[in-house]
Amino acid sequence: MDIDISVKVGGEAGQGIQTVGDLLASVCWKNGLYVTVVNDFESRIRGGHSFVQLRISSQPNLAPSDKVHILAALNPSTLELHKHEVTEGGLVLSDGKSSDEPGVLAIPFSKLAREAGGKIMTNTVVAGAILGLLGAPAETFEELLTQKFLRKSQEVLDNNLTAARAGMESVKDASFSGSFIWEKKDPVGPLITGNRAVALGAVAADCRFAAFYPMSPATGIMTELIDLSDDFPLVVEQVEDEIAAANMIIGASYSGVRAMTATSGGGFSLMVEALGLAGITETPILIVNAQRPGPATGLPTRTAQPDLQFSIWASQDEFPRFIFAPGSPAEAFDLTIKSLHLADKYQVPVLLLVDQYLNDSLFTIDRPLKAPDKIERFIATDEDLENPQAYERYALTDSGISPRALPCQGEALCIASGNEHTPDGHICEESPNRKIMFDKRNAKLPAMQQEIEPPLTYHEESDVLLVGWGSSMGAIREAVDLLRGQGKSVGCLHYTDLWPFPSEDSRQLLERAKRFIMVELNGSAQLGLLIRQQTGLSFDGSVLKYDGRPFLPSEIVEETLALIG
Amino acid sequence: MVTAQDFNNDFENKWCPGCGNFGILDSMKQSFANLGLAPKDVLLVAGIGQAAKTPHFLKCNVFHALHGRSLPVATGAKIANHNLTIVVNSGDGDCYGEGGSHFMNTVRRNLDITLLVHNNQVYGLTKGQASPTSPVGFVTKTQKNGVVMEPFNPLKIALTLGAGFVARGFSNNREHTTRLIEDGIRHKGISLIDIVQPCVTYNKVNTHGWYKKQVYDLYEANYVPDNFENAMTMAGEWEDRIPIGVYYQKEGPTFTDRIPKLTEGSLLSQQYNASNLDRHLSFG
Repeated sequence: MDIDISVKVGGEAGQGIQTVGDLLASVCWKNGLYVTVVNDFESRIRGGHSFVQLRISSQPNLAPSDKVHILAALNPSTLELHKHEVTEGGLVLSDGKSSDEPGVLAIPFSKLAREAGGKIMTNTVVAGAILGLLGAPAETFEELLTQKFLRKSQEVLDNNLTAARAGMESVKDASFSGSFIWEKKDPVGPLITGNRAVALGAVAADCRFAAFYPMSPATGIMTELIDLSDDFPLVVEQVEDEIAAANMIIGASYSGVRAMTATSGGGFSLMVEALGLAGITETPILIVNAQRPGPATGLPTRTAQPDLQFSIWASQDEFPRFIFAPGSPAEAFDLTIKSLHLADKYQVPVLLLVDQYLNDSLFTIDRPLKAPDKIERFIATDEDLENPQAYERYALTDSGISPRALPCQGEALCIASGNEHTPDGHICEESPNRKIMFDKRNAKLPAMQQEIEPPLTYHEESDVLLVGWGSSMGAIREAVDLLRGQGKSVGCLHYTDLWPFPSEDSRQLLERAKRFIMVELNGSAQLGLLIRQQTGLSFDGSVLKYDGRPFLPSEIVEETLALIG
Repeated sequence: MVTAQDFNNDFENKWCPGCGNFGILDSMKQSFANLGLAPKDVLLVAGIGQAAKTPHFLKCNVFHALHGRSLPVATGAKIANHNLTIVVNSGDGDCYGEGGSHFMNTVRRNLDITLLVHNNQVYGLTKGQASPTSPVGFVTKTQKNGVVMEPFNPLKIALTLGAGFVARGFSNNREHTTRLIEDGIRHKGISLIDIVQPCVTYNKVNTHGWYKKQVYDLYEANYVPDNFENAMTMAGEWEDRIPIGVYYQKEGPTFTDRIPKLTEGSLLSQQYNASNLDRHLSFG
């Protein structure tokens, strides 16, 4: 039988809720199970209400579920806020001596932790209790704690092992219908967050410089990059503002290294002028926008997909760019590599749209991450040039791509300008030249279009197609399964490669369906508007969510049924 | 042997006749030649303004960036390849106004570049508005009752933030400016050279003649620039007389010296170790 269990752990910020989630996820992952761990927290350091929701399944999953089988409440408000989410046969664990409430199991988490050596071990006790209820093997948990704490000290490890055993022991007489047999199976892919996936993709693509200004939910990407930087020729700098970050990566890229930054919508707004500078100077850069609801400060720690149209048109005037939006950490890794590769190949800026849900959630992915076979830099040295002394940075070519030399690396002088310029890089305001250079840059578009993958399809021969992009892929696919389970002819298209827009592929796929419905985390169906603009096809309805939380498959099912009957 | 003429190019110059920029342009060429630098050895980075157009008028590697953003571009270029000799051309509006935060932060970094700020106390390219260094009361079309802000004192600010090479030049004193630029390029760390210059079109107060009367030469006076307090005092001199020369010099670790990764060679030249990647991609 398929396993599909959800566990929610709630408490105040600072209580170590996330640690419980990480411990549980790691034990499941090590036993070959799939997990999606969503971290839901407020923009504060202490107090408030936060929770982690862990979905454990025997099949790959990429979305949270609305059914909670175990709710562990580390504070009273968790009980009040989430008790109604617990399914029949589910259990509530609350911190305390005893409880008369039916379905509530009182476990003295903090007392057990103190007995094991300190209140700080509460996380370990809670994780132990939950794993005990699920029937998890104690050995995996103990191995994990050993890995985690032995480097601190034997005492810390021993205390945690005691806490873990106390937690597991505390539920040994409890009966839980969701308990299952744990088969010993190895994971087929890593357990990682979107943040880690983007950072790994960046080092896999030999990105050598990253500049940033801290902004949720993008900071995690930089934290992961800094963590990796010792092992790679990589410098990561926190700088005075996002404007500096974007302009610094342009300078570094002009000098010859692959460079990127990561920010969220507000920071990206500040980077927009530099995006145009990369466009007209034909400097390869990668900007990762970890989307959150806005405008202005909006909801700093929440998720959304509100920046698609903004990304396509950001900066004044027109120039070629790529836009990608991964649907999973595996895609985030692959698309980060692809972004840095294509930025170099076409000498254009690339935008990667991720979001808080993808970045901060922890996922088991269903395949290993694969490094690129080689890194091609598309850089010209004096030896490659017929006459380096006559080198022109923006030499006219059929492809629109000029040979790219680097400054101070040979006789070729690299003259780059954000003013409109002649092929040699010098300022020019004359009418014929303006048209020539504008057309030269845009001449890259047909080849860029060839780099774009069509949307991923799932049951695409159906009457109704749900259409989405980016990190809601998992929820949409699962909604398709649920709707098909109810006998509905429903499939989905999922876009990761968004610009240049795959118009021909879209038209062919969408024309086959009787109708198509947009499923997006924004208020106006921005991809739907883009499809209409680029193909002339209009969507027949939309499932939109803009409350700052990720899609639950059940929500998509319910709203789709209301639309299609 | 490299000569100043090696830096000539045939790009048409559109500055006003008599502009102070011409003197700075000549001084740059001469100082590069004196240091034995060829056009391929120098990277010029500039923002926006008449000053920031300077790199187009001499043969070199050039990145002509956005208004106010020359310093972040120069910082990125230097991190990627800290062996580059980078000279930045900026103006009082570009560097102290639009790019004010980058100015302060680049000084804090002690980035090893030479920053030439062409300071004419007025906006030329946008036709005569006040700049951050315009004095209180300076009347323009857009400040018709005169400027109501205290002027920005770049030298005092740079000194306060720990700059290790703080100097002032006068555009029309070419030999002096040439020597300043040479010393600035030789100095390890940020070298700020604020070069006062007349604006023949929009600044009728601080004219060529006015400056000629005001300036006195610290090189001639054999001034030893090792005293912070003296430097701060000189940075405040303006109405009675203006010292030109190096006010303060002190070497310390530069930004790229402080990045451990860069002790292994330039970032651009370092080897990529694929086995490290394999280790991070393995799991289980």
